[in-house]
Amino acid sequence: MNIDTAEALSLDERSQVSFSQLLVLSGLSDDDLRELVEHGALTPVDPSASSWMFTSYCVVVARKASRLSRDFELDAHAVSILLGFVEKIEALENELHALRAGARR
Amino acid sequence: MKYKDYYKILGVARDASADDIKKAYRKLARKYHPDVSKEANAEERFKEMAEAYETLKDPEKRAAFDHLGSHAAGQEFRPPPDWGQQYASGSPFDQTGQSAFDDIDLADLLAGLTGGRSRGRGARQGGREAPIPGPDYEAMVRITLEQAFHGTEIELDLSVPEYDDRGLAHRVPHRVKVRVPKGVTDGQKLRVPGKGGKGMKGAPAGDLYLDIQVQTHALFRTSGQDLYVDLPLAPWEAVLGTSVELPTPAGAVALKVPAGTRAGQQLRLAGRGLSRPGEKPGNLFAIVVIVVPTVVDEAERALFRQLSETSKFDPRAHFTQGAAA
Repeated sequence: MNIDTAEALSLDERSQVSFSQLLVLSGLSDDDLRELVEHGALTPVDPSASSWMFTSYCVVVARKASRLSRDFELDAHAVSILLGFVEKIEALENELHALRAGARR
Repeated sequence: MKYKDYYKILGVARDASADDIKKAYRKLARKYHPDVSKEANAEERFKEMAEAYETLKDPEKRAAFDHLGSHAAGQEFRPPPDWGQQYASGSPFDQTGQSAFDDIDLADLLAGLTGGRSRGRGARQGGREAPIPGPDYEAMVRITLEQAFHGTEIELDLSVPEYDDRGLAHRVPHRVKVRVPKGVTDGQKLRVPGKGGKGMKGAPAGDLYLDIQVQTHALFRTSGQDLYVDLPLAPWEAVLGTSVELPTPAGAVALKVPAGTRAGQQLRLAGRGLSRPGEKPGNLFAIVVIVVPTVVDEAERALFRQLSETSKFDPRAHFTQGAAA
């Protein structure tokens, strides 16, 4: 069977998605997404713009927020705090990983 | 259809209260939720406990599950003949009990009782007649460093629900071919638009999300887009300097090692790391390791002895300087 090859898109800091695209891709409600921005869990590329755009990496964070909210039954405020800790742990893990990679064996 | 013991998965008794079920789920979720846990197989474990909780927290689904009877986990079974009339009345469930259950997943069957298969995206649209976007799928993909470096094509075999004309979900194999761009890094997430589950009633298909894992390499270690490789040098190469052939994922390159190179020193090869189109590429670092021969013949031993007698080098000079300070 001949199957078409689909392109995988990087979710990174280079490409961008709109507010409405982020809503669809994350499954978050409009209110929850605005609250996550208010609490600093997600930052639009230009917060003063009339229509917010986000880096596509925000899709990863917003989907994580959606899962945490659903699976732990948390409101947006609690999810923001939790995301802050998760992000901090990930940054420390990355630093540790870089140190280990750079250490000779 | 294979039986799953949802009570056993959550570690509660069959007569556990709703509160006990919630407590057990929360305790396990804290331990195994893939976004906060580093336990092995956390994602797999969490998936089954979320599935168990989804059923046991809902009194209607829990009653329907209880009425299926108690079987050994993984055992093939069929719902009792009256099960469809009692719990799936009015639904497209085959009320004559003639349905084939072989490729039906228990979770899909129970989710169908309340139209709950649109978990996540599009769930708020409600109503059986409303278009329901297809579910998103997630898959972990392990690729080699070479595949990450050059980009690659992968084939994924997924097991996805497909709905028959009565609305019953059957698990069917689904093969997806995906082009992974060059320069992806360990832990990176990719989105493949439209390769999730099919939408219902004209709604768009879901997306496929890939969690990239780059396999450990025999020579190279990765940190983001940077690569690290140990560069063993003989003591005389480090002292006198040399030119070596250094392996890189793109093929060997010549590297000039300056005279007086120290152990642990990092020699940077700019732009030889993982590179994404339009972005500054990562670097390759060669980390110097001085290795000494463990077996030396008499001539070599004589040369080392001569060096030892001639050299004024004191590698422990700082010991005495430190003691004087």
